[in-house]
Amino acid sequence: MKSQVSNRVAIVLISACAGLMALIMIALVGNIFYQGIGHVTWHFLTTVASTFQVGGGIKDQLWNSFYLLIVTMIFTIPLGIAGGVYLSEYAKQSRVTSFIRSCVEVLASLPSIIVGLFGMLIFVDTFHVGYSIVSGAVALTIFNLPVIVRVTEDSIRSVPADLKQASFGLGVGHWYTIKKVLLPAAFPGILTGIILSAGRVFGESAVLLYTAGLTSPDLDFKNWSPFAFDSPLNPFRSAETLSVHIWSINTEAIVKDAPQVAAGSAVVLILFVLVFNLLARVLGAWIQKRMSGKS
Amino acid sequence: MIGVQEKTIVDFPHRDQEKKAFVEVDNLSVYYGDFQAVKQVSMPIEKNTITALIGPSGCGKSTFLRALNRMNDMLTSARTEGSVYYDGVSLLDEDIDVSALRKEVGMVFQRPNPFPKSIYDNVVHALRYHGIRQKSEVKALVQESLEQAALWDEVSDRLDVSALSLSGGQQQRLCIARTLALKPRVILFDEPTSALDPISTAKIENLMLELKKNYTLIVVTHNMQQAARIADNTAFFYQGELVEYNATNEFFNQPKEKRTAEYINGQFS
Amino acid sequence: MTLNNKGSLLSMSDKFADDSTQDRLRKRRQNINVLFRRDSELRGKLAIYCGAVLIILATISLTVFLVWQGLRLFLFDGVNPLSFIFSRDWNPGDSTHPTYGALPMIFGSFAITFLSVIIAMPISIGTALFMSEISRKWGNKALRPVIEILVGIPSVVYGLVGLTLIVPFIVAHGGGIGYGLLPGMIVVGLMIMPTITSIAADALQSIPQELRNASYALGATKWQTIYKVVIPAALPSLLTAVVLGMARAFGEALAVQMIIGNVADIPHSLVKPASTLTTIITLNMGHTTNGSAFNHALWSLGLILLIMSYIFILITRYLSRRSKVL
Repeated sequence: MKSQVSNRVAIVLISACAGLMALIMIALVGNIFYQGIGHVTWHFLTTVASTFQVGGGIKDQLWNSFYLLIVTMIFTIPLGIAGGVYLSEYAKQSRVTSFIRSCVEVLASLPSIIVGLFGMLIFVDTFHVGYSIVSGAVALTIFNLPVIVRVTEDSIRSVPADLKQASFGLGVGHWYTIKKVLLPAAFPGILTGIILSAGRVFGESAVLLYTAGLTSPDLDFKNWSPFAFDSPLNPFRSAETLSVHIWSINTEAIVKDAPQVAAGSAVVLILFVLVFNLLARVLGAWIQKRMSGKS
Repeated sequence: MIGVQEKTIVDFPHRDQEKKAFVEVDNLSVYYGDFQAVKQVSMPIEKNTITALIGPSGCGKSTFLRALNRMNDMLTSARTEGSVYYDGVSLLDEDIDVSALRKEVGMVFQRPNPFPKSIYDNVVHALRYHGIRQKSEVKALVQESLEQAALWDEVSDRLDVSALSLSGGQQQRLCIARTLALKPRVILFDEPTSALDPISTAKIENLMLELKKNYTLIVVTHNMQQAARIADNTAFFYQGELVEYNATNEFFNQPKEKRTAEYINGQFS
Repeated sequence: MTLNNKGSLLSMSDKFADDSTQDRLRKRRQNINVLFRRDSELRGKLAIYCGAVLIILATISLTVFLVWQGLRLFLFDGVNPLSFIFSRDWNPGDSTHPTYGALPMIFGSFAITFLSVIIAMPISIGTALFMSEISRKWGNKALRPVIEILVGIPSVVYGLVGLTLIVPFIVAHGGGIGYGLLPGMIVVGLMIMPTITSIAADALQSIPQELRNASYALGATKWQTIYKVVIPAALPSLLTAVVLGMARAFGEALAVQMIIGNVADIPHSLVKPASTLTTIITLNMGHTTNGSAFNHALWSLGLILLIMSYIFILITRYLSRRSKVL
């Protein structure tokens, strides 16, 4: 009987834990939305951030977050896919291979602040590029690389070995097989991984504090030349992102409506992260269906 | 002039011992690590014939087949010794371009393995790699090979549909068409119908009889009746050795080796 | 099923009628087309290998640069490493008698890590057990999306919630100014819960059902099966999940910095302000001059972080090796 009682108790406690977890999420997300949703207006999204006055917006920070994401992906995707292809197709069982795997593991485990410090060391101190999109993008690439490498390797490994055999049996070379058979077959998995990692990159802040910086010039959206100082496309200007803005506004700013701006920014941030998550699932499933069903 | 080994049965009549056969296997051995999967096998294979390789599971017939187009190269633990001569060329030499070899010695696998692409792209994939890119030439080759594989009538109106939407038998014929598009001279079949239903099996067996006119076919099969139906010559493999090799009629009606007779009579499988 | 176009069937072999099979199959004698094709194989391979090399380069240069920079304090500014680690006196900004004692920060980092794990572990493991033992259906349908959303929430948002919700709550219940280890451990605990849960759930779900069935067949209850069979079998992976949570807690910077108070002192209670390695770095790095001892001291704090990260990696490796043995 004692074991029956303890069984019941245990099950109740365990279920309570799960319930608590769900409750926490609802409370967390709910609270942020409650605090900030009122502040998210079109005006908020399209106004420049303000250092002294009430009513500042997040126009530049929002743009910076996206621009930085795109530049980071331009670096990360080819490099990550190359790494994943190497580990799954070209690497032989050797000390070099396990060393590369260890490197990927190390990069994956580093706290983001350390990656940020490294970025600062290289770009700001050594090369004197200063706080810029480029510095932030390279630092974020280091941060994001292990995810893409792992996702690519796993996706390629899960492609049925039959397909590789079929291609080789036709006399097709290794690289051509990778390019035209394996990578396309692995594409849904890789794409899902990329979009999910985009969500992480979008919300990342510690890496960017000392690489992309805490300020952003007032962007002139009429000037698209990458060479102008205040052009949105200039990769060598400092670029405070949305998530960094949340931090800096709470730590260093003196505007009176800082809590509202922070909450509003947080709502926007979470919404975009959720959209990325949803997109990854939906797109990945849709592509998978297309490849195996129709054409 | 091949060397006659005491272990193998090359007592193969109807053959001029002086001339090398179209495909001549000489003392071939294949090792997976320490395990010897194929033990010093020698056999001649004549042009435009269907040769069936039968034997119980694990007897080395698939390994033997894969040595002929050097598919075993894909496995790092595999080691091949001996010689294989194709039209006089020693295939196991180091300076052989394996890619060109596999263009001439094609392979069809046990489970149909079309690429997750359209029917058209499946056939075209290897063509493009081997340098055939001109659209008109490619289109003609696609139609030809699908006709030869007895698939054209069923798919000509939907070439851009995913190959995975075809039935199992159709997929296997697509795989045959893929190989035919490269204009091989030898086609290796590794249990091509064991995953298919009887009707598809019959279609493919008829197809193989047609192909025999222009190609040399070597077929590994689990199904003795299939060997009896389509093969000109049959070889029996057991535990890596070539036990007997003869014209199909004589092979089944008057087997020379005791093990062959036992296998044919179903005393072990 | 007759073969038509017999003429064109042979057209390609006619082309080769003059070349012998040797020419077609031997590498040296082939035509330009084939050599070009082989060249692109090499180019593809080269591109891939370059990518792999860059990854190695990034990791090595990161470690080397940070170690070198972190050692400057000891090599060039004459600070004793032992006093750095064990001294409680952190005052690098003082113009006359700067001191470089990192102990308060080291204490803060470890305190936050262990305290947050104490909060997170029971709820995480409990949730993971629910997802794998009590109701896989609800677990995978309802809880997994919840966990994914929680993982995806950026850390600054957790910090914001800590600042706007938890700190005032603590103040309202008599907790001084509200900043300190208490809000820190709550916020970081919330942050690492989804991480631990998802890894633990995967670990538990990968235990083969046969083990559980064998236990039930002997008359054991669900709970007995869980703590006598399932948990011991999954133990290394569960520990890995916890260690990974700890690693994340140790390296968390901005969220902690918003609520810990940032005073370089070992606090006497959970509601007195404190600081961690990460928070002192983020707070001060922008305000120090390059090459100054203060600046070097911050890099040395970063070096401690780096070393701890490597230690966490070694621990997880050791654990995963043990789980392979089981």
